[in-house]
Amino acid sequence: MGEDEAIAKFSEDQNDDGVSESKAVPVEDKESINDKNVEKFLDSMDDYLILVDSLSSILRQGWLELASARHSMGASRISASSYDMKYHSAATTLQLQHETASSDVGQPHFVLRKWESSDSPKKDPSDSPKRDPCEAKLEEDKWVQSVSSGLRIRTKGTSESSESREKKAENTGSPLSVDGHAQKERLKALSMFGALAPPKLRAAQLSFETALETLADIANVRASLLRAYEQVQKEMESPIQ
Amino acid sequence: MYGFEALTFNIHSGYLEAIVRGHRSGLLTAADYNNLCQCETLDDIKMHLSATEYGPYLQNEPSPLHTTTIVEKCTLKLVDEYKHMLSQATEPLSTFLQYITYGHMIDNVVLIVTGTLHERDVHELLEKCHPLGMFDSIATLAVAQNMRELYRLVLVDTPLAPYFSECITSEDLDDMNIEIMRNTLYKAYLEDFYDFCQKLGGATAEIMSDLLAFEADRRAVNITINSIGTELTRDDRRKLYSNFGLLYPYGHEELAVCEDIDQVRGVMEKYPPYQTIFAKLSYGESQMLDKAFYEEEVKRLCLAFEQQFHYGVFFAYMRLREQEIRNLMWISECVAQNQKSRVHDSVVFIF
Repeated sequence: MGEDEAIAKFSEDQNDDGVSESKAVPVEDKESINDKNVEKFLDSMDDYLILVDSLSSILRQGWLELASARHSMGASRISASSYDMKYHSAATTLQLQHETASSDVGQPHFVLRKWESSDSPKKDPSDSPKRDPCEAKLEEDKWVQSVSSGLRIRTKGTSESSESREKKAENTGSPLSVDGHAQKERLKALSMFGALAPPKLRAAQLSFETALETLADIANVRASLLRAYEQVQKEMESPIQ
Repeated sequence: MYGFEALTFNIHSGYLEAIVRGHRSGLLTAADYNNLCQCETLDDIKMHLSATEYGPYLQNEPSPLHTTTIVEKCTLKLVDEYKHMLSQATEPLSTFLQYITYGHMIDNVVLIVTGTLHERDVHELLEKCHPLGMFDSIATLAVAQNMRELYRLVLVDTPLAPYFSECITSEDLDDMNIEIMRNTLYKAYLEDFYDFCQKLGGATAEIMSDLLAFEADRRAVNITINSIGTELTRDDRRKLYSNFGLLYPYGHEELAVCEDIDQVRGVMEKYPPYQTIFAKLSYGESQMLDKAFYEEEVKRLCLAFEQQFHYGVFFAYMRLREQEIRNLMWISECVAQNQKSRVHDSVVFIF
């Protein structure tokens, strides 16, 4: 269909008052929307692959730093038998929220809340999670399984980019600079290995903390990726009018 | 009288000095480490070690191997050698050999007490204890609630009893108190060992003074760096430093007020023996400090073998074996994690 015919069709759809009724989207607009969805899908895929690669390198670094700490402190001081088995609340929690923006309604969004003190007062109800994180995770898995069929993930050899680190900070809401409370909670968490933690052990902790942030980002990007894939699939299945 | 040890040393200790010098020749060389660094799997490491003195200890271990298994079996070899020497030793060498193990005893006590605080099973903790630091009543440490009970119920009958006078309180045990207890005990132990070596006199006193002073200084630096950012006050930090060593007393006063690694560097660079150590580090960096200290320690320990008729060779051999076991642990971890490019970050060649 040529451009003039498309404009003519659009004009016919307008009522006598001159207000257009959105009975049918012009072909060019529909194609540009299709392109945007495909672009969004490819961008999400790219972000996802970069984050997965970044996670792999951060975890490698963290494990080596932990081995280095064991090397200097001694294997008996850093082992599974050092873990504190007393009941205590988690310093870091993952909350699941659902997007309310019109373009992403229903899309899950994971928020990492780091270093919440076990001595802090009870949170405001408006900040509390809408559901049990475990249940939310199960629902998310079911949603993911229903949409993600036949996606094959390729691997890249790219290193972590600074943009992905900044995006990480934005998504989790955690600033890159260390504040006093977070530092205090970090040392409190490390105290199970001894109150005087060496720099290598602190570095390992930071690496695993960064890995946790990256995991939350991966979950968010994956949700966005699957949403974009779903939209692209719908457009491919619907006939062009 | 110093210089006349050759007249009488061999009467009681000649056999054991020959034994320990024989053991020293069995330490892994640079060629051995090069072969180990090229291994692809832990089974390859086991195969290479089977041609060394560790062979009999690893040959019956089934695959797949774990890095902790390699460390445990290599440690068993050291324990067997130590027990043989201790059984053959007469006074004062037997007391000297026992002093070498008190550091491990302190670590074991702290491990049991910390694990009990964290509600771990005692049997699981006993398996993690260093074999050189075991004593009969160690399992009963789990019943103590504070340091006074710890001393009264268990430690009063152990060699660590004299070291508890400075840290007996009725405060309940928590992570910081336990760490202060560990370092206070170790400080008392080092000072006692130092005094014992001074009483022995001669070449033993001279060589061991240098080695123990280095140990005390290294501990002071590590305590300073590790306590940066923690709730340990300057006074408490100062109390954990030993009362001997090159840094005592003026270096300790300056270290006590350090707030970051660069200030520590500024203090240590005033002392020529430590200038070379800190010259290897870039500003703000502390990751390679451990390796720099280990290299300096190994150099001093190897020099102990250059002189005869003193007990320092026994101390030096034990420490060199422990360094070798640390090297094997690091190489195994790098191989297991497929990070062989990082293997030279922490391996310290002995010869």
